[in-house]
Amino acid sequence: MNIVVNGTNRAVESPPLTPLLHVLREELDVLSPKAGCENGGCGACTVLLDGAPRRSCLTAVGSIGGAAVTTVEGLGTPEDMSAVQRAFVHYCAAQCGFCTPGMILAATAYLERGGSTEVAAISEALAGHVCRCTGYLKIVDAVAAARDGDFDLSTTAESPHTTVLG
Amino acid sequence: MKAVGARLPRYDGVGHATGRTVYVDDVRVNGMLHTKALRSPHHHAGIKHLDTSRAERMPGVAAVVTHEDVPLLTYGHLSALGIPADEPLLGAEDVRYKGQPIAVVAAEDADAAQAGVEAVDVEFEERPALFDMRKSFDADAPRIHHWGAVYPHFEGEMNVRQIRKGDIERAFEQAYKIISGVYRPAAIEQMPLETQVGLSVPEPDGRFTIYSCTQALYFSMGVVAAHLQLPLNKFKFVGGTVGGGFGGKVDTATETLCTLLAQKSGRPVKWRWTREEEFLCSSTRAPWHMEIIDAVSADGWILGRKMLTLHDAGAYARFSPYGVTKHSFHHTGAYTIPNLHFDGYVCFTNRVPTSAMRGYGVTSVSFAVETHMSRIAEELGVDPLELRLKNANRIGDTSPNGITYTDPSTVDVLHAIAGATDADLPAPYRDASRDRRAGEWLPEHLVSQLSDSEGH
Repeated sequence: MNIVVNGTNRAVESPPLTPLLHVLREELDVLSPKAGCENGGCGACTVLLDGAPRRSCLTAVGSIGGAAVTTVEGLGTPEDMSAVQRAFVHYCAAQCGFCTPGMILAATAYLERGGSTEVAAISEALAGHVCRCTGYLKIVDAVAAARDGDFDLSTTAESPHTTVLG
Repeated sequence: MKAVGARLPRYDGVGHATGRTVYVDDVRVNGMLHTKALRSPHHHAGIKHLDTSRAERMPGVAAVVTHEDVPLLTYGHLSALGIPADEPLLGAEDVRYKGQPIAVVAAEDADAAQAGVEAVDVEFEERPALFDMRKSFDADAPRIHHWGAVYPHFEGEMNVRQIRKGDIERAFEQAYKIISGVYRPAAIEQMPLETQVGLSVPEPDGRFTIYSCTQALYFSMGVVAAHLQLPLNKFKFVGGTVGGGFGGKVDTATETLCTLLAQKSGRPVKWRWTREEEFLCSSTRAPWHMEIIDAVSADGWILGRKMLTLHDAGAYARFSPYGVTKHSFHHTGAYTIPNLHFDGYVCFTNRVPTSAMRGYGVTSVSFAVETHMSRIAEELGVDPLELRLKNANRIGDTSPNGITYTDPSTVDVLHAIAGATDADLPAPYRDASRDRRAGEWLPEHLVSQLSDSEGH
């Protein structure tokens, strides 16, 4: 079978019931989706299928039909990042980075379907994504600011959430 | 000095945001084998019979390692400090917690490795298990180690970490009230998003390149070298990219066994734990049992503290004696108490071994101390912030282990909390500072604990 990954048509030899995560990582060497739990619980393996976030660990490769698979490698390169990627860098929204690809893909899909910049709405959109480092505040900051897209990456943002004690 | 005060970007931010950061599981080496472990299904058992010959003949299996393959089977996390080791790398005669590894199998893929594990012939003799550290002292408690169920190797071969300071009996004679509390925080899994993972690559010159998610790279190198009985220059560790650790990646979980399998098979060997293994078999933060009894004055001075701490090490000591020692040094929290009587024990149970997590040994006692401070305030009917400001560490005060505080920030932190919560502090508390005690901040009972030195 063939699947389209980040705009490229790739031949797949794995059996159809193989998890898409395994195909991406072990057969196609697309390494940004992470094996965090392989039970659909953590969100680290998230990819976009025709723009919608899906857990690649629970998605059989044979079930995706002709849907286009997008990972963060397909959103932008280090030299030419997407607005959400730039916002994550500027707001220090990635700490260990292991949940970051899934977070960025979920945030991208959320903003593309017209999601608001309200904290509660962003939190709900990212609810299935576990981060153990940041406490989520900087991630929410980054998503809220991402529409702007114009960040100076030689410095970092003052987070509106980090000034409680002045 | 351009960096000081500047808001510099994270050096790894772009790699993380574009998916280019290479974690251990992302490293690709030709001919790499995958690992699965035979783990104890029992909390406590003797191993009556162990035979891996059938597993070794399974299709795709390249190497099986048991206790017989480890040059130095038992090496402790504190062995380098001269503290006797108690934990075998692989279970030999006994298993003391559910999930303890007994054999590891490296094979062409994870499924073949798992089939190999299931082909190991093993027989156990189950023994009674202990789960409640409060029962570690009972005469009829299950005997977990040959010395029993309480760690016996504190200084002077005492089984207790003790602190004695000041005159505790006099403090309790002078007390207006005696206020006690028991605090029992439970075990917590560190739960990094990246599970335990290692990759050991045998090099043509006889060395091993080890890709590790460790938080403590040179420590892990020392542990691997000790078990293999090889000099450090046989190992090249590649680390630094950690998918979350929080203390759970201080213990050396995978590197030693990957390297033994790589040595035996002559091939690169990776071992990535499943989420289930991470939850059930990796170390947790310890459960603690803390009893605090304080002698307090009517106006909110804490005159003396008696404290008993039990620390649940799980089945093996690992860093627990160090954790309890640190805990003992911090058992007054951010406050100065001149008369102390502290006893801390490392108790063994048949739970998974416990280890570091974010403020090893100290978070437990901070939770207990701060909760207890609020309890004292409530029982005396005094303001909780004022009680804390009164007893706060100041320059020249001495810690439970006799260290002079040179620049304690307690007063400033409490003032910041007062500001953030719009608390209306009366003048003496509003004007308090970290300066050396004098006047109303130096009641009679705090004089003798003051250090002669000014600090700084």
